[in-house]
Amino acid sequence: MIKTFFDWLKQPMGMIAVGIAFLVLFSVAAFGLYQTQQAPEQPIQFPHKTHVAFGIQCLYCHPGASKGPSAGIPTQEKCWACHNQIQKTQTSALLAPLKDAVIGNTPIQWVPVAIVPDFVQFNHRAHIAAGRNCEECHGDLTQMTIYENPQVMNMGWCLNCHVEAAGEDQEKLIKLSDCGTCHY
Amino acid sequence: MMATLSDLKISEVKLSGKEAGKWGMVIDQDICTGCQACVAACAMENNISFVGEEDAGYGRSMHWIRIERFWEGEYPEVKMTPNQPMMCQQCGQAPCEPVCPAFATVHSMAEELNLQVYNRCVGTRYCANNCPYQVRSFNWRDYERPEPLPNQLNPDVTVRRRGIMEKCTFCIQRIHRAQDQAKAEGREVVDGEFTTACAQACPASAITFGRTDDPASLVSQLMKRRSHGVKHLEELGTLPNVTYFKGG
Amino acid sequence: MSEQFSRRDFLKLAGLGAATTAVLTGCGPASRYVKREPYMEMPEYTATGQSTYYATTCRECAAGCGLVVRTHQGRAIKTEGNANHPLNLGKTCARGQASLQGLYNPDRVTDPIKAGSPLPMDWDAAIQVVADALKNNKPEEVAFLMGMAPDHLFDLVSDLAKETGMNAPIRFGALGMFEARATLSQAAGNLFGEAGLPYFDVGGAQVVLSFGANFLETWLSPVSYTRGFTGLREAQTKQRGTLVQFEARMSATGGKADEWIPLRPGTEALVALAIGKLAAEIKGGAMPRAFAGVDVLDAASKSGIKLETLEHIAGMFANSAGALAIPGGAALGQSNGLEVAEAVLALNALADNFGKPGGMSISALAPDQTEYHRPASAKEMQDFIQKMAGGKFKVLFVHGVNPFFELPNSLGFHSASKNVAQLISFSTFRDETAREANYVFPDHHGLEAWGYQRVATGAMQPVLSGAQPVVSPFYNTRATADVMIAAAQLAGGSFAQALPYADEVEFLQTKVASLLGEADGSFSAPNPQTFMAYFQQYGGWWRNMDGRVAPSASGALNRSIKGDMAEFAGEGEFFFIPFVSPTLAEAGANKPWLQELPDPTTTVMWNTWLEMNPETAHELHIENDDVVRVVSDAGALELPVYVYPAIRPDTVAMPFGQGHTAYGRYAEGRGVNPNDLLGQHFNEAGDLAFAGMKVKIEKTGKKRPLSRLESIMGVYGEGLGEEH
Repeated sequence: MIKTFFDWLKQPMGMIAVGIAFLVLFSVAAFGLYQTQQAPEQPIQFPHKTHVAFGIQCLYCHPGASKGPSAGIPTQEKCWACHNQIQKTQTSALLAPLKDAVIGNTPIQWVPVAIVPDFVQFNHRAHIAAGRNCEECHGDLTQMTIYENPQVMNMGWCLNCHVEAAGEDQEKLIKLSDCGTCHY
Repeated sequence: MMATLSDLKISEVKLSGKEAGKWGMVIDQDICTGCQACVAACAMENNISFVGEEDAGYGRSMHWIRIERFWEGEYPEVKMTPNQPMMCQQCGQAPCEPVCPAFATVHSMAEELNLQVYNRCVGTRYCANNCPYQVRSFNWRDYERPEPLPNQLNPDVTVRRRGIMEKCTFCIQRIHRAQDQAKAEGREVVDGEFTTACAQACPASAITFGRTDDPASLVSQLMKRRSHGVKHLEELGTLPNVTYFKGG
Repeated sequence: MSEQFSRRDFLKLAGLGAATTAVLTGCGPASRYVKREPYMEMPEYTATGQSTYYATTCRECAAGCGLVVRTHQGRAIKTEGNANHPLNLGKTCARGQASLQGLYNPDRVTDPIKAGSPLPMDWDAAIQVVADALKNNKPEEVAFLMGMAPDHLFDLVSDLAKETGMNAPIRFGALGMFEARATLSQAAGNLFGEAGLPYFDVGGAQVVLSFGANFLETWLSPVSYTRGFTGLREAQTKQRGTLVQFEARMSATGGKADEWIPLRPGTEALVALAIGKLAAEIKGGAMPRAFAGVDVLDAASKSGIKLETLEHIAGMFANSAGALAIPGGAALGQSNGLEVAEAVLALNALADNFGKPGGMSISALAPDQTEYHRPASAKEMQDFIQKMAGGKFKVLFVHGVNPFFELPNSLGFHSASKNVAQLISFSTFRDETAREANYVFPDHHGLEAWGYQRVATGAMQPVLSGAQPVVSPFYNTRATADVMIAAAQLAGGSFAQALPYADEVEFLQTKVASLLGEADGSFSAPNPQTFMAYFQQYGGWWRNMDGRVAPSASGALNRSIKGDMAEFAGEGEFFFIPFVSPTLAEAGANKPWLQELPDPTTTVMWNTWLEMNPETAHELHIENDDVVRVVSDAGALELPVYVYPAIRPDTVAMPFGQGHTAYGRYAEGRGVNPNDLLGQHFNEAGDLAFAGMKVKIEKTGKKRPLSRLESIMGVYGEGLGEEH
């Protein structure tokens, strides 16, 4: 049985079938890959650009970035402090989830986008202290509605920047390219 | 290039590497009571899994630090040797490092510690085979932590899963936290500002941790004040960074 | 052809599959699998990604060490010692470290429960049950059995009892039983005219003779005594001190001793008196009456200690400027335990070390106390149980203690509890008492709770250690103090008058505010609210003074002390020594990491073992891991043998801590409980003569391997060799 199958594979029709099978597999893989790179569904279609356009600083909503490892997601209390003074909050369908969450006292389930795996210990504070600006990693949020990573956040990308930042300073290079700086 | 160990005398090994590492530990066996507080503290700080009775019986328990005790003599002249807390010695020339095919156990140039990079580890266990101190532990399974036990996990330390080798890190997360804090305040890390989980818990203060390259630090002072410190298996040329005081 | 589709092709196909999977799952942002819920309102003192630290008091034993708990986004993630706390100065023991595994234990009681009902109760109904129990029974029909911690709840219930004529709450704990606290305090009372818990300044001493005191393990205040031990060995200002341990089975403390003297059990009093006599002869002068009656040669032959050894130790003791003698552990848990304690305290009188550095004194009383309140002795518990059996109590409230496990079976708590109409447990965990109770109204875990604990011994200063919640309660539990206050209000009348508080915090504030005017405290405050805030912030309040009292030495040496040998119950040929497991103690068995800590002396994990001398084992043809039957005249147990090189050939020993029939998945059905072998034998002070049994050993032919760290160390260590 298996022998006849392999014999058939060597026939022209069999070759074509193998080719088609590979094409299908490849397309599925490509589609899957494409899917994973899409911004995830968020509970609220949060328009970063609108907020930035009002002149709100990144650190106003994400103050953790300057103090510690995690930038954090603002509390609903913080959202509401502004939004309950804005007429549109009461009427806009897009803002209904926020209203519901505040009234129902239920947390909004955000899907974090700019995150690193558990085995990476990333610290925002060190990067801010080194003079990096938010947009250098997170992209131009004046143009973004729902946040998307401007690039794949992988180790190569981290290291490129680290090596660049070290420049000619050997000691700094050692520190910034050390495995133990991020992995423990 | 690499000479075999038998070709080298200790002094030459010492010359070939750096004499003093950066971080070091001093352990006073004379006052260690074997109470296991350090073992518990280490497990709580570093998210170490417990393995259960059966796996523990096979020697698969995940202790990053263990307290060894041996017997001398026979009853009634029997004596328990001074308790010996044993953890990764953070060797200057670590036998575990060159054998890792995945470069998962590498030497940190910046902190001069032996690192275990969990995401690189593929679980060959060569490093554990080659460790003369037998201080590496391997995740033989995904050990269960029933809810709500995971609530106590330390967010600063990676949670390891099956097939990963792990070992004492000298609480590198605490080193980084202290360095980060000091940098934010525009100063250097002060000796005694932070310490490892084991040293912090130790009721007998038998464990002291600090900078061995700083002559003013407490560890350097202790090593200087008391001349009889021993570094285990130093003759292998591993340049361990933990000094033991055996007797009184 | 088919054989060519073998391993290689399979690997290729498998590799392709793996690659596809990797592409599909590995490359994308992991975000897809994570949801994040921000705080709705950020609690005060909390910031994203930042840890918050709270000072509180450890509740794993009654010592009252100060803790600082690291919390992160509302979760407790690490306990550390409170560096400013005078008792533990920033240090903790293993049990304190593992207390988080109690807080987040998967087998906690999540809601108030009525036995037999599948649905949880609500708290209003629960409080009604308590109120009815208080109101509908005569005051003398209501009893409280409480643990040695926390003290604030004991005070609250005491106030309630005083006001309403109910029985005063009775306190008990297995640790207190094995420490023989009643014996210690009565011996102090007999010798110095003032009962109190002796304090031994090990750190300042030069020569320490310990008669069975396991002060580096669980005895009284292990963290503070371990610090003292460091002082004994390491102090910069003096020579390295010597520790001599007299005990039949080498404890972890004995393992640290410079000389370990395996005397015959029951001869401790005799040996202490003999050493006293020899030392008094060396010192010269009149022979004190306490030691005059003893025959040194007789003591040597009975105890099995060579005369030269006794002379050498007496010489050390007499010639040292800092000589100290400590009674404790199994030496007190014998029929003549009180004499042992008196004889050893008399040695201190001989050394004339009372109140001196490196000497003995009476422990500092807590700031709000005028006399030492010890927990009930086993004898008093027996009276209590007899009352229970006689149907004297209609309601029994149990808090902070697990009597079904901690009391020896022979005392009959189990059957007596059947004669109590209503057994109400406040247990946090599903332990034996919770299983037997009619109602379980779970208290918060110690780290979720308010309170205070008096430091009974171990600190120089008088210390009232403060507790506050470090995290909000994880389950639908309620503070027992709050339940009692609410129930008392509901019951009305004198109950409501006894507890006129809105809640537990108001009660605490009222109690703690009595210290407000004190001048020499660790802090002062202008008003009760501020005082309470500081009390939480610093983890307690203590006086800046040495509160220890030097007992008067005058009478101590002029009493004659009997040097009889202890009497042993039972027909067996082996002395039986139960000891408290240094890692588990009485309530650690449900914490998986405490189970996985190797015992300091045997390195056994997760089980109970019987320690037996290699010579004895050889004679009986018993090897490691052979299951034997241990029979006393009170019961029998089967458990595996650990061949232990440092125990007398005529003695066997067993740790206490395992053998639970409930108490959650990590404790249940694991090991055995040596209490099952203990009969109703007491010493003169009423403490249980737990080391006063003789047992028989019978072989069963079964084997049960013990998990040990030794000899199978390391990843590939199996068969690493017995030489380890």
